[in-house]
Amino acid sequence: MRSRASGISIGGRSPGPAGYLISRIVQGLLIAAISGGLFWLVWVYANGLRDPRYLDGWVLAGGMAMQVSFQIAKAVGLSPKSALRWRKMHIFVGYLVIAAFISHSDFTLPDSGFEWALWMGFVLVVLSGIFGTYLAWSQRAKGRIDDGVSYDCIPALRAELELAFLRAIAETDPSAAAIDLPGLPHDAWITDLYATHLGDFFQGHRNVTAHLIGSQRPLKRLTDAIDNLSHYVDQHRQAKLAYIKTLVIEKDRLDFARVSLGLARGWLFVHVPVTYALIVLTVLHIFVVYAFSSGVW
Amino acid sequence: MAPRRNQLAVLLALVTAIFMGLALFLSKGTQLLMPGPLTSGHGAIESCNACHTKSGSNKLSWLHGLAAADPLADSKACLTCHKMPATAFNPHGASAEVLGQSTKRLTKIAAGSIAPRSAIAQSVAFPMKDVIAGGLYCATCHQEHQGIRFNLNKISNEQCRSCHVVKFDSFDGHHPDFQNYPFERRTRIIYDHASHFGKHYPDLAKKDPAKSIPSTCAACHNSNADRRVMATAPFDQTCSSCHLGQILGKERVSGPKGIAFLTLPGLDVETLKKKNAAIGEWPDASDTALTPFMKMMINRNEQGRGLVKAVDGLNLHDLANASDDQIKAVTNLVWEIKGLFHALIKEKASDVLGNLNVDGRAKLSAALIADLAAGIPRDAVIGAQQEWLPNLATEMAGGPVTPPKELPGPDAPQAIPEPIQPDAVSEAAAETGTAEAGAETEDVEAKLAAATETLCAEKAAPPEDAAAESATAEAEPDGGEEMPSTDEESLAEIKGRVPLPTGTPRAIKAQIEDAEAGTAEAKPEGGRETLCAEESPRAETEAQAKNAAGESDTAQAETEGGIEAPSADQQPPGNTTEQFDDLLFPTGSEKAGQPEEAEAASQADGNTPPDAPPASNTTPVDPQIQAAPVTGIESDVDPETWAEYGGWYRQDYTIYYRPTGHKDKFIQSWLVLTGPQAPKGGTSPAAAVFDYLTSKDAQGSCKKCHSVDDIRGKARVVNFSPASVQSKQGRFTNFIHEPHMGIMDNRGCLTCHSLEKSSPYLKSYEQGNPGKFSASFGAVKKELCQTCHTSGEARQDCLLCHKYHVNGAATPIMNTKIPAQ
Repeated sequence: MRSRASGISIGGRSPGPAGYLISRIVQGLLIAAISGGLFWLVWVYANGLRDPRYLDGWVLAGGMAMQVSFQIAKAVGLSPKSALRWRKMHIFVGYLVIAAFISHSDFTLPDSGFEWALWMGFVLVVLSGIFGTYLAWSQRAKGRIDDGVSYDCIPALRAELELAFLRAIAETDPSAAAIDLPGLPHDAWITDLYATHLGDFFQGHRNVTAHLIGSQRPLKRLTDAIDNLSHYVDQHRQAKLAYIKTLVIEKDRLDFARVSLGLARGWLFVHVPVTYALIVLTVLHIFVVYAFSSGVW
Repeated sequence: MAPRRNQLAVLLALVTAIFMGLALFLSKGTQLLMPGPLTSGHGAIESCNACHTKSGSNKLSWLHGLAAADPLADSKACLTCHKMPATAFNPHGASAEVLGQSTKRLTKIAAGSIAPRSAIAQSVAFPMKDVIAGGLYCATCHQEHQGIRFNLNKISNEQCRSCHVVKFDSFDGHHPDFQNYPFERRTRIIYDHASHFGKHYPDLAKKDPAKSIPSTCAACHNSNADRRVMATAPFDQTCSSCHLGQILGKERVSGPKGIAFLTLPGLDVETLKKKNAAIGEWPDASDTALTPFMKMMINRNEQGRGLVKAVDGLNLHDLANASDDQIKAVTNLVWEIKGLFHALIKEKASDVLGNLNVDGRAKLSAALIADLAAGIPRDAVIGAQQEWLPNLATEMAGGPVTPPKELPGPDAPQAIPEPIQPDAVSEAAAETGTAEAGAETEDVEAKLAAATETLCAEKAAPPEDAAAESATAEAEPDGGEEMPSTDEESLAEIKGRVPLPTGTPRAIKAQIEDAEAGTAEAKPEGGRETLCAEESPRAETEAQAKNAAGESDTAQAETEGGIEAPSADQQPPGNTTEQFDDLLFPTGSEKAGQPEEAEAASQADGNTPPDAPPASNTTPVDPQIQAAPVTGIESDVDPETWAEYGGWYRQDYTIYYRPTGHKDKFIQSWLVLTGPQAPKGGTSPAAAVFDYLTSKDAQGSCKKCHSVDDIRGKARVVNFSPASVQSKQGRFTNFIHEPHMGIMDNRGCLTCHSLEKSSPYLKSYEQGNPGKFSASFGAVKKELCQTCHTSGEARQDCLLCHKYHVNGAATPIMNTKIPAQ
């Protein structure tokens, strides 16, 4: 299995680490500039004795509409290239919508029930969106998931690994039978290793929490045990243990992939439904605002 | 996965909608929809439609607001508690005129100023025309629902700047220079600081070192009462020691010290007589002019207005060249004046003054009338009438009375009028029309005979004249007889304390009664009865007397009875000049020791005061002996001096009022009343009164210190008070002295207010426009304020020195109905 190097962009040619950094910086500056421009515009609007909440409110609503249109476009069907572009735009506009929201809420927390509902809905959507963006980045950045590995095929891959491991455990040294003198029980030790540490590891998805927090300790524990044993076995067994070690690492990567890809699916179960609820609240909010506006906006 | 997710999303949306609907219907009112708490001041408002007039009170009625809203209606809801003038929705709450003037002035300044970029961007991107076009609503600046502690009055400098033609960055930046701040108009109270500091105080210090002279500004100025105004201490504390005498007239060297209020103007009586003007009696000796106050009083009705107009410009002292119409007008004026005096006596002064009909008002308030009348005693008017127009009642009842040939002036030696014999008087008056008084001297008889002769000649005149003349008294009032009046009320009221002439209706009535009783007997000797050759006694005279007395009054008079003349042997004690008041004059019974007669007399006339002089058989008093008021006490003090500290007094043919001191209500009330009708150069009686009281040498010297402002050429107003909080309403700036007091250096007030010694301050008051002036002090410069009000030091935001609602906003007390029992 190939390991991916970090810093490879999704789709297209990789710009390299430096290019990636530059693009990120430019993107950040652009977001900051546009956000600053929005704040300035709202300030000028307020100076004109107008209620600025109407301006940044409609900017916010427009941004939210753009975000929702991504979902609609996906439902219609997009080519992978278009989907990538949409996704990029979705993330970029998302940051601007955050700026619009901060402006609209006047940098303060809400102070009524209905406003709290709106606020929490928006924050949930935003946080889940940021999480999803981070997840996607980390998957690409750490390169621990191979291309072609999808969430659905992970169980099959795990079963293959388990089978390979069991074969490796069961394999004995044929030259041992020709020696009259009793030999050292190296295979027994390996079998024992299997029984005590590795058997359970290969039977299912393990170390979910460690993978959630990005910890490598469980894997290290296992590989240390293998490394320790390999000092005491002969060369042949050392080769075997080395092979078992690679299987353990692969299995660990699969577990990571499962957790990561599972999260990648799960966060959308927050992001999308809460977005729908937020749309309902937003429409109600617009009605209420204009009903009580007295024509002043 | 995606379909499941989408299903979940739709489900969550539905749940949200249902939950919100339930929450809305289950919650109290529409509180759920409120975007935030109201500020503390509005915390008691529970219903949304208290301010959002379209929202209704139902759960869903707020949806009506989605239709075309009326922001003005919602703003008017604010005015329910925050009372503001009608211009509330104009910028600054100022009138369009003021705004126009300000804009015009500031546009010139804006042409030379550099606007900040943000201001330019705002005016380009979001112009203000749309915002102001429909009026500035309350919610434009005051955004609610931002929490309990939110400051609704918080407005940024940029927001203030958005509307103004002059746009600048900050106060310590490019704020326009002050335009003659803080002076917007000349001071209301005329006080030349420079001359007082430079001349008057030093002179006074030399002249009278013991006199208290202000040594500090705080001696006259302080802002303790109201921080918003640097008030001036009242007159009593500051100016009275030097100026009170001027007000009282003590320092007046020429002219009367009192204000001529009521007078009998001097007329060209001779010419009027020649032209047969029936003016009745009128003193020859008067040389006064008609007072403006009387013109106003005469002007109170249509007829009077016509008269005032007709005689305006006429020289009443010389009517030789007057046309017949003018003579007629003068005649009518005479009767109008007599009517005025009559009304002032018969009615109440308040009734006359309450109907002055100035500026179309029918009736003045009680307080104003009280001040206008200044407690003028009725006796003063009665005394004047009895001295100047003794036959006024008769004349008002029956027409003019031919005056005697010579009438004594007010300074003429006063003879003792004899008590009147009503029978003789009535018969004589009835027969001859001549008033007769008891006379004991040959001179008197001679004079009486002469008067009778004249009267007989006049009796040859047309019957109506004769009847009128026969009924009126020609003689001067004698000692002890009351002035009969035409009706019961007059009889009851006009029981003066001065002797009344014979021949008056009352006397005539008494004579008639006596004649009916068969007791009256004409006695030609002694002048008790004068009969013309062609006249028959008694019956005819009775009839004529009755006519003269007036038919309607005869019954009353008869019922009332006449006043019995004192008996023949009863002589008035002492000198007539000393015994003029009937209270002082002993009764007949006292004099003659005849209680029965006195009793009978009192029974005959139930209205006769118990101490009225009894009837006598004395001869009629010669007109020349008709006496001026007799005090019986010698005095060197003239009436004007007597009223040294103010009040009413009578002198010559005028009733004067002398100011009582500063804030004299009489002068103030007349100025307040007439000012609105007294444009400069006006010729109306109101303008005449105003001019009279504000002339350079006017009594009271009001105009010496109180400026007079011309109101658009239509009126004038006297500024009685200095600047106050009320007078500062409408100003765009506010300044509080107190926080600055601790930081002034040794120069104190002069740090900011530099005295301009050469300023032509007093010249400002030679014309009526308060906006044209030269101030005593130099204007405050912006740079002076900028020494502290700059970034990093003292505040320099717009609202520190400028207020938006220039006319203020008040919260009136609520109209709580008194709970029913």
